[in-house]
Amino acid sequence: MTFIFEVLLYLASGSFYWWWTQNLAFFGLAPNFIFAAALSAAILAGPVKAVAWGFFLGLYADMLGVSVLGGYALTYSVMAYAVYVVKRHFDMDSFFSQLVAALSLSWLSMLFYQCLGLVFLGLRPAGIKIFLAEPFLNALAVPVVFQVFYRLKRRLDIL
Amino acid sequence: MSREKDAANYAIVFFAVLSVLLLLFPASKAAHTARIAASYSLYPSLHLGARYGYFVRNVPSNFLALLETDQENRALKNKVKEQEVKLLSASALVSENERLAKEMRLSRTLPWAGSWARVVSKTPADWYGSFFINKGTDDGIAVNDTVLGMEDDRAGLAGRVFEAYPKFSKVLLITNSAASAVCAIAPAGLEALVEGKGSWLLKVNYVPEESALTEGAEITTAPGGLLFPAGVPVGRVAKVYSRESFMNFITADVTPAVNVNTLKEVFVVKRNLPQEAAAAAGAGWGEAAQYGEQAAANRR
Repeated sequence: MTFIFEVLLYLASGSFYWWWTQNLAFFGLAPNFIFAAALSAAILAGPVKAVAWGFFLGLYADMLGVSVLGGYALTYSVMAYAVYVVKRHFDMDSFFSQLVAALSLSWLSMLFYQCLGLVFLGLRPAGIKIFLAEPFLNALAVPVVFQVFYRLKRRLDIL
Repeated sequence: MSREKDAANYAIVFFAVLSVLLLLFPASKAAHTARIAASYSLYPSLHLGARYGYFVRNVPSNFLALLETDQENRALKNKVKEQEVKLLSASALVSENERLAKEMRLSRTLPWAGSWARVVSKTPADWYGSFFINKGTDDGIAVNDTVLGMEDDRAGLAGRVFEAYPKFSKVLLITNSAASAVCAIAPAGLEALVEGKGSWLLKVNYVPEESALTEGAEITTAPGGLLFPAGVPVGRVAKVYSRESFMNFITADVTPAVNVNTLKEVFVVKRNLPQEAAAAAGAGWGEAAQYGEQAAANRR
């Protein structure tokens, strides 16, 4: 049953991101809810499940884009592993640590993804606007998504 | 802890290898299969979302519209309440207007000059005794002026002005147990004395025992009375009592021509009584003293 809920949550996360970008994007900017979901899952779930969530959410992000399949999957998988390592030393449940993690990991993820793009597709730099603004939007979105995931975890025993 | 770490290491290696394979061989059959499998995750948003996009896309604008509608609804509810209050007030005004128009029409047919006044105060402790009207000596109202009420398109005796002040007056009702009036009983015009009982009924007194007093007979003010003009309807005989052994006259209950409980406006007839007559009549509460003396003399 929890597996079904997790699948639904996964689809809901992707659909919500899609809906937001379709309707509430502001100057072409929107929080990356897939990133926020991956980070929240990485904080809340055990290591294997966290990496799996990162991989599949990354795959979803890959499917939405026109870049090569697997770029975001690898990025978010690595991010989930990094969070697993970091959360053993830091309290990732607090608002401030989530804010800092979201900000730093957003940039790191972008840079990592840019590197992958550089290696596998040639140079495809992201827009400077997205590079500068999106991490801040993600930093705002992550605590909210984390709270949603946290409540769902407590209620439905998922993640 | 070590097992968890191992599991985490295996997981990251597994998924990283999987990702790299996808990156390395984007056109391979396996990558294509993975792409097709992953595409199912897009169905909720891209397929269903696009299909029902109208509902999903318009959520923000619908939400705003909902808020605006809610505000509009609240404003309209307030307006409806105001309108209901106005409607109630309007219906009260309409009925008052109808009543006043009727009374004005009626007052034109009256043979007496006078002015209209509104009943402004009634004392529960003296419900059938008196009330105040909003006209006083400034409006030409004088003590002992006759006060008429209107009921069923007819004027009827309500009482007389008992005290007159500049801006208002006190009316002594005919139903007051101390009030009385000399009256004539139809059809013969037999004179008798109508007295208040302190209730909604009047009592007619001093009716000769041989007279044919019947229920339903109309009683009007008599020309012989000093205070009231002649011919004002006072009421109708409701019940005739048989003569008591020690009396040589009979009595009867009378239903007043006007219900003093329902009066909103009254017509005050200007009497312009001679000062001495008014003083003589007004010395008591009514015409009882004058009539009592006269009746006693007649009996003698």
